[in-house]
Amino acid sequence: MAIADSLFTAPRVRAVVTAGYQALEERRDEINDLNVYPVPDGDTGNNLALTVRAVLEDLRSLPDDSPADRVAASVSRAALMGARGNSGVILSQMVRGAMDALADADTFDDRAIVGAFSSANNAAYRAIRKPVEGTMLTVLREMSEAAGDHQGEDHRHLIGSVLRAGWDSVHRTPTLLAVLAEAGVVDAGGFGLLVLLEGMVSGAEGPELTAGIDLDVFAGKPGPGRSGGHDERVGEFAYCTSFLLTGEGVEAGPLEGSLEKLGDSLLVVGDSGQVKVHIHTNDPGTVLSLATAKGSLHGVEIDNMLLQTAERDARLSAHEPAAARPGSRNSSRAQKRATQVVAVVAGKGNKRLFESMGADLLVDGGQTMNPSAEELVSALAVATADAVLILPNNSNVILAAEQARQMAGREVHVVHTKSMQAGITAMVAYDPEMPAKANVEAMEDALAGVRTAEVTRAVRNSRLNGLQIREGEFLGLLDGEVVVAEAEFEDAVNALVERLLEQPAEVLTVLLGESELGERPAAVLKGLAERYPDLEIEVHRGDQPHYPLLMAAE
Amino acid sequence: MELTRANTLLVLDSTSDLSPELRADPNIRVVPLLVHFGNESLRDWEEIHPEQFYPRLQEASKLPTTSQPSAGQFLEVYREARKDFERVYSIHLSAGLSGTVGSASTAADEVPGVVPIDSGSASVGLALLADRLLAMLDQGVEEESFLSYIEDYPERVGFLFMVDTLEYLQKGGRIGRASRIAGSLLNVKPLLTMRQGEVDLYKKVRGERKALSAVQNYFLERTVADKPVLVAVGHGAAPDKVEPLLETLRETGRTIDVRVIGYLGSVIGTYTGPGAIGLFFIQE
Repeated sequence: MAIADSLFTAPRVRAVVTAGYQALEERRDEINDLNVYPVPDGDTGNNLALTVRAVLEDLRSLPDDSPADRVAASVSRAALMGARGNSGVILSQMVRGAMDALADADTFDDRAIVGAFSSANNAAYRAIRKPVEGTMLTVLREMSEAAGDHQGEDHRHLIGSVLRAGWDSVHRTPTLLAVLAEAGVVDAGGFGLLVLLEGMVSGAEGPELTAGIDLDVFAGKPGPGRSGGHDERVGEFAYCTSFLLTGEGVEAGPLEGSLEKLGDSLLVVGDSGQVKVHIHTNDPGTVLSLATAKGSLHGVEIDNMLLQTAERDARLSAHEPAAARPGSRNSSRAQKRATQVVAVVAGKGNKRLFESMGADLLVDGGQTMNPSAEELVSALAVATADAVLILPNNSNVILAAEQARQMAGREVHVVHTKSMQAGITAMVAYDPEMPAKANVEAMEDALAGVRTAEVTRAVRNSRLNGLQIREGEFLGLLDGEVVVAEAEFEDAVNALVERLLEQPAEVLTVLLGESELGERPAAVLKGLAERYPDLEIEVHRGDQPHYPLLMAAE
Repeated sequence: MELTRANTLLVLDSTSDLSPELRADPNIRVVPLLVHFGNESLRDWEEIHPEQFYPRLQEASKLPTTSQPSAGQFLEVYREARKDFERVYSIHLSAGLSGTVGSASTAADEVPGVVPIDSGSASVGLALLADRLLAMLDQGVEEESFLSYIEDYPERVGFLFMVDTLEYLQKGGRIGRASRIAGSLLNVKPLLTMRQGEVDLYKKVRGERKALSAVQNYFLERTVADKPVLVAVGHGAAPDKVEPLLETLRETGRTIDVRVIGYLGSVIGTYTGPGAIGLFFIQE
């Protein structure tokens, strides 16, 4: 059933591709959010849309009277040149297969359609080393089979049947690929392929052929990655690397062989002289140097999939606030560090603060519960970095730290932090990739500009620094010395902070301890914020015992 | 060959965040990147100005994304440019941050006389470079020294920037080697720089005053007293941060020649967020 004699005119193809592109753009976010395979980096919609856009841009520059074979060749080339991501590269192969078949067709009849699907299917499977079922490959194959089954029908009926088979196939993808089922999604690439085809069909044939399909049933409620968090998924390879390689003698086969061991999701497609490469790897550098040895590189794109995954998770978690998600830990994959930190810390909140700044070897302790040198030595023994810093975080622990340093039998430095809050200030300057000595210098530099204060309760009556102190009174300590004693907590805090700020400071860090003071610390801090409007007051729950407030001013 | 305004054109991309004067210069063409808010795609600086962008960035429920120009866009500009100019220098955002220079190279392969270059720099750093290159073209310059100025630029230019939050760099995947400082619960404002074309940490400090004094030290270490220092400052809708920064530089006693002050554009701003400020400087 012929539509017209000149099947492949640039204006006609342009109109059809424009319709397909618009359909993809409309559902781009949805497709992004479905993306959990091979890596849940949420960019399938972008990749498909940008690949099709490259074709469209090429078509726009093509003269209206270009011969059919020129149009077909141009579309193939633009798809390959513009392909982005796994799905884009596979799509470019499907496009090439379809173009090869359609360029030879005189009329757009049932035979041409069956031929195009079959050729697209073959090209896609040929390009992929290890085809995985439950992806856009399966969807295209099943559409191609359906086209074969319905050959001989009127082309509009045929197209309708093929699209329905496509949607059925998309529906079945979770039964073929476990990660999709776990995340409760259909395959993003397959879904995107159908969105594209359907857009193109409605552009070419009018909307009635594609009516009656409720796309929203596919959108479902995709979950962020798999149930246990995504780390183990992306775990193996971090960088999505793609580029175009051109040059005499550039061949897909040998290149594929040499790249295979460097990662997964490898795609090497194209003709001799020009191939598109896509790989997930931990070593983009080696991939690129292997490639440059064979030809000239273009359009290199390297995406950090860990970050993309975290972004997708964040985006999806935002839709379901009830579901607590484990935080993304980009740093967990860091290589061997130059410097590690052993810190002596009391209180759950303080431990979290130290960990957030990269101190991963924590020893319990603090005022009235000083750790022994042996405890510190066992913590030092676990460290894997070239050198280790000890942050004693209490003047009574410094000696044990020095002993541990001598006993450790490896490079250890003690940073003389006399309080938890001083330790936190020092940690701000910590950089695991700097050598130990540079870290010690930077930390001591940071400590030089900081004054510390503490509020605690007197355990007995005494006279100290000219102050008459009664048991149960609130004591204010400035840089370790008792300077304030007051019956009321609020009075002690206010007097202490006034002394603390005699030297101008910009940032006041406050660690709230365990106490029976209820809302009183929060209220007194609010008063401080009003009294010192230029001071940036940063409050954290430290949960340390004995000290309702620890403060550092810098 | 001697390069002059008569025979040489600079093609930049929109992330060079040019001043209106540079943008209007007859020896400059700019190819835009795209900023996407949802499905709406806008050409950087052409369809969306930073004045509109930053408020929108803060209101957006979903962060915008960006995409590089296609090779086709460059091809068009190159072909047009070569009608009037013998040499086209196409100078772009660091390849460590964007694939833009890749698109430019693909297109440059098809047009003789076009030299695609990874500047290793970004934003007003690129604007400063363009400013210097135009000055050379004004005088006339041997192609060799022109090229070597561009090649040495990322090593010679001083560059520090501060962001209000690392969130945008992280979410946009442009945090590079500075990723090791991500995730601290404390409100630490790191001073960032670029090394080998990627964002890297220079120093972590808390508080504005310490940050400025760290900037001052960096500036003093990398400049000498007997030559003027050419300076470019870009900000993410935070003009009030510019003067204190410049004052800090003047306090050093160096002769400061401010060549560029302007916005960090929408594409750059997508990754640096509102309130960021960047300083570039070079001595010749």
